[in-house]
Amino acid sequence: MLGRGLGQFYPAESPVHRLDPRAKIVAAGAIVAGLFLVDSMAGFLVIGGAVVAALVVSRVPVGSFLRAMRPVLFILVITSLFQILFYRRGELIFGWGWIQVYTGGVELAAFLALRLALLISATTLLTATTSPLALADGLEDLLSPLSRLRFPAHELAMMMSIALRFIPTLSSEAEKVMKAQAARGAEFSEGGLLRRARALVPVLVPLTIGAFKRADELAEAMESRGYRGGAGRTRYRELRFRPPDAAVLALAVAAVAGGALV
Amino acid sequence: MRLELEDVHHVYAPGTRFEVPALRGVSLAVEPGEVLAVVGGTGSGKSTLAQHLNLLLKPTRGRLLVDGEDARGMKLGELRRRVGLVFQFPEAQLFESSVRRDVAFAPRRLGLGEDAVGERVRQALAELEISHLADRSPFSLSGGERRRAAIAGVLAMDPEVLVLDEPTAGLDPFARAELLGLVRRFRERGRSVVLISHDLDEVAEVADRVCVLERGRVRALGTPEEVFYANPALAPATVRVMAALGRAEAGRPVRFADTLQALKELLEG
Ligand SMILES: Nc1ncnc2c1ncn2[C@@H]1O[C@H](COP(=O)(O)OP(=O)(O)OP(=O)(O)O)[C@@H](O)[C@H]1O
Ligand SMILES: [Mg+2]
Repeated sequence: MLGRGLGQFYPAESPVHRLDPRAKIVAAGAIVAGLFLVDSMAGFLVIGGAVVAALVVSRVPVGSFLRAMRPVLFILVITSLFQILFYRRGELIFGWGWIQVYTGGVELAAFLALRLALLISATTLLTATTSPLALADGLEDLLSPLSRLRFPAHELAMMMSIALRFIPTLSSEAEKVMKAQAARGAEFSEGGLLRRARALVPVLVPLTIGAFKRADELAEAMESRGYRGGAGRTRYRELRFRPPDAAVLALAVAAVAGGALV
Repeated sequence: MRLELEDVHHVYAPGTRFEVPALRGVSLAVEPGEVLAVVGGTGSGKSTLAQHLNLLLKPTRGRLLVDGEDARGMKLGELRRRVGLVFQFPEAQLFESSVRRDVAFAPRRLGLGEDAVGERVRQALAELEISHLADRSPFSLSGGERRRAAIAGVLAMDPEVLVLDEPTAGLDPFARAELLGLVRRFRERGRSVVLISHDLDEVAEVADRVCVLERGRVRALGTPEEVFYANPALAPATVRVMAALGRAEAGRPVRFADTLQALKELLEG
């Protein structure tokens, strides 16, 4: 129930944790964008090196990091396999009936796998080292110029932090309802897709009703304490952009530029 | 049906930072035809223990025996039908459009015919005295009515052992007394009840045996007299009164009626 899954915050004391969330968001964004510009092994090495270095400094254990990657591993393997089997450029290196593997396919598969893996690593690192609250604060701040154009930056950030806050609650609630229905004979891992989907109805209905009820209660609690949206609201934690943040940002941009150029 | 937990350990989230040893070597039997009360502070492992009785949770170590046989050899569906478990705050499990349909969920899952399902539902609703609510939506009911509908949903499986996790928490005194009546009637039919409760007064009224859990271990197990008189400070009001009087000739009554009788005899004699 606790401490598992993609995008979990891993609290620890590290230079990466202490960075300004805005610097981390922009750096991660730059790396994600950079991954789509890179098209050479050397380029991947540069960006991969930067990500691995950040991971080491962050003190997030590699084990829990890899566990977060596990759900995507399947997609990664399947897509790579498709590239290897069906992309037919370069030299033939292996042929057996309809199975024909070309150097071009292998290269493409490797790039795709690296791109996906690094993309997930960079974003996982961001969420693992930044508390959901700091993440929302940072995002709100980065989006605030848009609020002149009536973009609801504050509301969006508030919605995001509330959603993140309730994920663990909802998942433990789901576990409880599933068990209660299993005690009444429900089976969740039996039969075909349709039957499994139908078996979820007794779980989803109470869960949805519970979520609406909780949302109502939360809205009432917020209103009764005078919440009225973002206008004129001050913060308890002020974000501060310090020299290390600038340095990290510069490094990330440099890695991306370097990776794209080599 | 006799259930036995044999040196059961349970650890939540093993191997992570959130590891919690919730049960640490619990050995305990639920005899046929008895009401076994399980009491203990919050977090002592009561709900965890309850979920081991139908293997919704698997022991990290130790095992569950059903009539002397290892339960791992049994079909899970069969075990869960025979051991009906009502969760803490079971009202969260209602999902159908009417109480009748919701209570019918379990018997339908058993593959019974329409007539048999209807009969089971009728009986379960009557047992909980909510027959008049059969066609209402579960979501339009009061908290207490919803609780009863949820219990009826488990009773409709016709279980041999009924496990109730804090069924009376938050109910009014009248509804509470009715629920204890249900527990007694269930036992009278030769079946057993495991009643998890924080309310020692209600435990005193219905339990044949009491098990006290403390941080995942069985701290005491025995008849209410044995358990409560061994530690009158943590006992129902009836026991505290008798212990404070310190009159050994009055015996060791636990139930309210027995205590009253003993006090009357003391006053007269
Ligand atoms: N799903 C879970 N994941 C992790 N830890 C859990 C889980 N469920 C219970 N625990 C922990 O196991 C311990 C025993 O919990 P349990 O729910 O069995 O206690 P309880 O005696 O039923 O308490 P209460 O009287 O509050 O219902 C507690 O420390 C609790 O925090
Ligand atoms: Mg409990």
